Amino acid sequence: MKFFIDNLPIIFPYDRIYPEQYAYMCDLKRTLDATGHCVLEMPSGTGKTVSLLSLIVSYQQFYPTRRKLIYCSRTVPEIEKALAELKRLMAYRIKFAETPEQEAKEKGFMGLGLTSRKNLCIHPDVSKEKKGKVVDARCRDLTNSAACEKGRADPGSVELCDWHENLGKGEPGSLIPPGIWTLADVLQHGRENKTCPYFTVRRMMPFVDVIIYSFHYLLDPKVAEQVSKELSKDAIVVFDEAHNIDNVCIESLSIDLTRPMLDSAARSVVKLGEKIDEIKKTDAAKLQDEYARLVEGLQESAAEASDEDAFMANPVLPDDLLKEAVPGNIRKAEHFVAFLKRFVEYLKTRMRVLHVVAETPLSFLQHLKDITYIERRPLRQVLFSFRLFSLTSAFRFCAERLQSMIRTLELNRLDEYSALQKVASFATLVATYEKGFLLILEPFETDNATVPNPIFHFTCLDPSLAIKPVFEHFSSVVITSGTISPLDMYPKMLQFTPVVQETYPMTLTRNAFLPLVITRGSDQVAISSRFEVRNDPAVVRNFGSILIEYSKIVPDGIVAFFPSYLYMESIVAAWNDMGILNEVWKNKLIFVETPDANETSIALENYRRACDNGRGAVLLSVARGKVSEGIDFDHNYGRAVIMFGVPYQYTESRILKARLEYLRDAYRIRESEFLGFDAMRNAAQCVGRVLRGKTDWGLMVFADKRFARADKRAKLPRWINQYITEVASNLSTDMALTLSKLFMRTISQNPNENQTGISLWTLDDIEKAQAKQKEQALLMEQQQEQEDDMDMDYGDGGIDDDTLLGLDV
Amino acid sequence: MPTTLCSAKASYKKQPGTLELTDSLLIWTQEGKKTPAVRVQHPEASSLFCSKEGAAQVRLKLGLVNDEAGHNFTFTSPSAVAYAEREAFKQELTNIISRNRSAAPTPLPKPTPLSTPAKTPAPIPSTSRATSVSSDTRTPILSGIDAATDFRLRKKVLLSNPELLVLHKELVMSGQITESEFWDGREHLLLAEAAAEGQKRGRPGQLVDPRPQTVEGGEVKIVITPQLVHDIFDEFPVVAKAYNDNVPNKLSEAEFWKRYFQSKLFNAHRASIRSSATQHVVKDDPIFDKYLEKDDDELEPRRARNEVSDLYINIGATLEDHVETGNEKDVTMQAGRQRGALPLIRKFNEHSERLLNSALGEVPPAKRRRIDSGNDEDDDAYAQITLDDLRDSEAMSGITLQMQDRERYFEGQLARSASEQAGSEVVDVRAAFAELKHGFRGWETRFSQLRIDKRAGDAALDSMTQNVSARLDIRTRKTDFPPTLFRQLTTCQTAANEFLRQFWTSLYPPPTTTSSGATPSQSAAKAAKMAGYLSKTREKVEALVRAGQLEGVEPERVEVAMKPLLDAVEHALAFYRARSAKTSTLKTA
Repeated sequence: MKFFIDNLPIIFPYDRIYPEQYAYMCDLKRTLDATGHCVLEMPSGTGKTVSLLSLIVSYQQFYPTRRKLIYCSRTVPEIEKALAELKRLMAYRIKFAETPEQEAKEKGFMGLGLTSRKNLCIHPDVSKEKKGKVVDARCRDLTNSAACEKGRADPGSVELCDWHENLGKGEPGSLIPPGIWTLADVLQHGRENKTCPYFTVRRMMPFVDVIIYSFHYLLDPKVAEQVSKELSKDAIVVFDEAHNIDNVCIESLSIDLTRPMLDSAARSVVKLGEKIDEIKKTDAAKLQDEYARLVEGLQESAAEASDEDAFMANPVLPDDLLKEAVPGNIRKAEHFVAFLKRFVEYLKTRMRVLHVVAETPLSFLQHLKDITYIERRPLRQVLFSFRLFSLTSAFRFCAERLQSMIRTLELNRLDEYSALQKVASFATLVATYEKGFLLILEPFETDNATVPNPIFHFTCLDPSLAIKPVFEHFSSVVITSGTISPLDMYPKMLQFTPVVQETYPMTLTRNAFLPLVITRGSDQVAISSRFEVRNDPAVVRNFGSILIEYSKIVPDGIVAFFPSYLYMESIVAAWNDMGILNEVWKNKLIFVETPDANETSIALENYRRACDNGRGAVLLSVARGKVSEGIDFDHNYGRAVIMFGVPYQYTESRILKARLEYLRDAYRIRESEFLGFDAMRNAAQCVGRVLRGKTDWGLMVFADKRFARADKRAKLPRWINQYITEVASNLSTDMALTLSKLFMRTISQNPNENQTGISLWTLDDIEKAQAKQKEQALLMEQQQEQEDDMDMDYGDGGIDDDTLLGLDV
Repeated sequence: MPTTLCSAKASYKKQPGTLELTDSLLIWTQEGKKTPAVRVQHPEASSLFCSKEGAAQVRLKLGLVNDEAGHNFTFTSPSAVAYAEREAFKQELTNIISRNRSAAPTPLPKPTPLSTPAKTPAPIPSTSRATSVSSDTRTPILSGIDAATDFRLRKKVLLSNPELLVLHKELVMSGQITESEFWDGREHLLLAEAAAEGQKRGRPGQLVDPRPQTVEGGEVKIVITPQLVHDIFDEFPVVAKAYNDNVPNKLSEAEFWKRYFQSKLFNAHRASIRSSATQHVVKDDPIFDKYLEKDDDELEPRRARNEVSDLYINIGATLEDHVETGNEKDVTMQAGRQRGALPLIRKFNEHSERLLNSALGEVPPAKRRRIDSGNDEDDDAYAQITLDDLRDSEAMSGITLQMQDRERYFEGQLARSASEQAGSEVVDVRAAFAELKHGFRGWETRFSQLRIDKRAGDAALDSMTQNVSARLDIRTRKTDFPPTLFRQLTTCQTAANEFLRQFWTSLYPPPTTTSSGATPSQSAAKAAKMAGYLSKTREKVEALVRAGQLEGVEPERVEVAMKPLLDAVEHALAFYRARSAKTSTLKTA
């Protein structure tokens, strides 16, 4: 259908539209017009992605500026779905193009998705590697500019990647025909033409209208520096499924170091030293060259690095990067190696401590300095004879310097140096940020552990740091999700001011989903995943009987979520021993999420087969786990979701504690408020995955007595909360079953009433709504005018021009 | 009475009365009363007991599903008659009970404690003794199914559907319509039955986990059935391998199982997290320990599997989408920390997969789902992302009208509308506005003069009240007929309906049924026959009205009840007369 919002023609690839979608598009357009940021919450399953793409593509195609769209999603399945959605949209636009020119324009529209080499590699050997890191390293060995130069000059001397070589033969701007290419399409295209899919996408990025990739490619400075630095300022940035965006921000600036890593780093340092000695003998000029370049300044050398050479960017955000040359004390290769060696030694010493240490980056540096002063005399001629300032500055350039050195030495198999790279990143981050970070050394994994397994956490506490450059660089940033309540939390945490901030209720002609809160079992024992009672046999049994009973009455698929892996694993074992699972086996197959991602994918595939086949299955998984993000359980894949317990974070975690403290001090967000918010957004996220479209239906069971509390429920998105009745907010298992059966009997009837006009709009309905809107706007204006008139009247008591005109004299 | 299977004089709780068995109920009515005191639905009947032959009283006891005590009836007719009557009841009730049993999910081990097992009366298929329809050979109704299967299916359908059975008895066995006529248009029932039969019962889902029973003396006992052996071999191929290797050369069959259940291997196979603890108790076994595998409790599964190619559910792709960042997850969120649960979880997933594969077959290894670069909107790949309810299904199914000189048609329209447009005057906005304004002048005074007539309001309220009370009246009034009359009414109704159905299908044969393949002359003959039956309906209804009067029911009520039916019959007959008149004129012409 085609309709207008203001004067912008929108092509929407369906014959009908949900009122929510229309409202969502209007608000989105408002944001784009105002070139500001927005937070929008749209009920899950009401076609958020398609509305978003439909509006933005219409916008891009209508205005001559053609602002580029950068669409970020969380997971590869979601990226692939968004690409398919876009592909469908463009096919529709081409089909219904009104003029030949229009059609040509639509056909020229280009959209691509980007993911890692691991997911896009089709080299027969390299793609077999299990670890992404190894794929990256081997790919670089085959494709970096030095190797290519050598290989092309003297074929056969160096192994090169044919797929990559074939790319060089094509025109830079047309490595792939225009159109929308999903990840699977790009892979297929690569196979057919024997070209490298990964570099096809990378090199085409400046030419595309839409690029779809994950949050990390924009938020993680290590990646963003390589991938996203050339994107223009007027691009439209969308963070879809952004309910966990604060966590991604924090993760992208946090680093862990363990003892095995330090050992590996130490070995790498030794190897580096040997390599330098070797080069000194054979090709000393090379090192001299590098030194000279470093004296001149680092920027140049980084700029000429091509995509193929880039392997480890600076972990620091661009604005914080000092525009100065690498300090003198680490310019010389052997000095830098010695510097690294000392630093690794220092970290190892710190790890011998058997008590927990938490300190700020500043105090860490101070301590480091003190130590070096002690050891200064014996090591006078080598290093560490600097004032604090120069030490810090040496640290700041640690990552950059390592990068330069690795390039100079033309090292292969960089994955073996990954630990050292991490140490360098760590050093750089520690020296760059004073606020919003904390160093925590945990000598033991758990409180009861006796064997030390120390971990040095360098943890970012402030999510706004990582996203700040995005807000500053791009004029329109859209943050949207199905569950992003309470809306004001995000602007507060991420430190930005939205121009539009909106949540939409769900219009339904009949209730398509039934949220139920079960607070106690049929035996009236309260159920809860609270730490003190969660392993109580009565609670475990009551949780189990909920699963049994629902497996009896619900057709096809049931998904159950647990608050943590630890709890799920222990409860599955307990249920098995109690014979509960045997009862479930009678009705449905059981699949469980495992630690291995591929194994879980296979389980998921089988789960879907069982649902399609009618056998029915139960999938047990974990809130905020692998399955809860990005996998949909719509239609028969999920007729009921059961949330066992409230998915609170583990409050004993030191990192979490530090973060809570920071939020309280810096943004005045109370601990309990944040924890509750975080738990409910994850619960809502799990539960929201059962719906797609308004004819789909599902049960949403919240099994914990704490869900009955009004303050908890208030944190659920409005579209879920509005359908929780007073009765359904405090149920025992048997009552819930009765309600569920009733609901399923009703929903299985053919809907008699026509949804059109209420929860489904045709073109006429849109026009009607627009007319009404205009009328209201006019009315408002008139009122405004009248008020103005009044003011005028008070002013001089005269008659204004309008009235005079209207008078029939 | 067609629906009453048998009836007899019998006393219940020492009260004399009549016992009747109909097609859906067993009812006992006390003498002189109209409403039955005992009503038993057929599905409720669960067991039947009779007094011995030659006992002083001829008795019958019917046990119910939820009430074993049931009802006791004593046949009060002279003993020889009573005995014959009871046998008739026994025969029928046995059938009903056995039907109930076979329908029940868990059949009881032994049939009713009856001295003479009753045979299910097979509905004798009426061979073509049809008078009107010529050449009605008994061809199977469903193509591709031989006559025997077809017959069996029909029997099954009839047995599981008592109402249909009665109708069948009444119409087919009395010879009014033929067997194939009866089934004509009911093929779907047979197809459904055939499909239900064709369905293979899947394997039960439970894990193979033989739990030892403890008998006295501290010994444990595991009963080995062939089924269990089969399941164990299926679930644990390694046991099958061990069996092949060792039986009967090294171990006897019994020895093999005995040692297996004592071995570490068995404990490893048991689906319990506790089994690892018992391993210390279990002694070493040189034969079985060879087959022992390491526990599959690493984070990565021991058995490497191909990657899932479907990107929509590929979780691993997300993990590899970007370099690892961030701090380690806290203890509770690290998957696989409960080492002991991992083999269990893997066992669940594998077991489920095995069950699924046993029903569906393995997944083809290189199943690659791709979005083809066509414009086909119904492509399977889009199915996972489209919102079906947003599609206008009606608009899709339209067919463009093929019209000659289409352009000219539209041209003409355009020209007309253009001329119309030219003709219409241009509205002077100012003048119109002034006129409007003039019209509004003084509206306030006129508005204040507005009075609504009180009587009109009262009348409206009155009529609404009347409406409500009338409805209430109807709702409260008893409408049910005495059971016998009601039964007659429904019988008449269903029979006439069947005739109507046959009549209309013979006139307008449904396009899909090619198998029946009746020639036009055949169907004409059939229609004539049906019309003949239908014309008798009025008489039947009149007879019912009279019967109703005897029972004390006002004739109007019966008439009202049968009115729709009569209307339908009249309509059909009128149609038939008109049609035959037309054909006869055609013939004469």
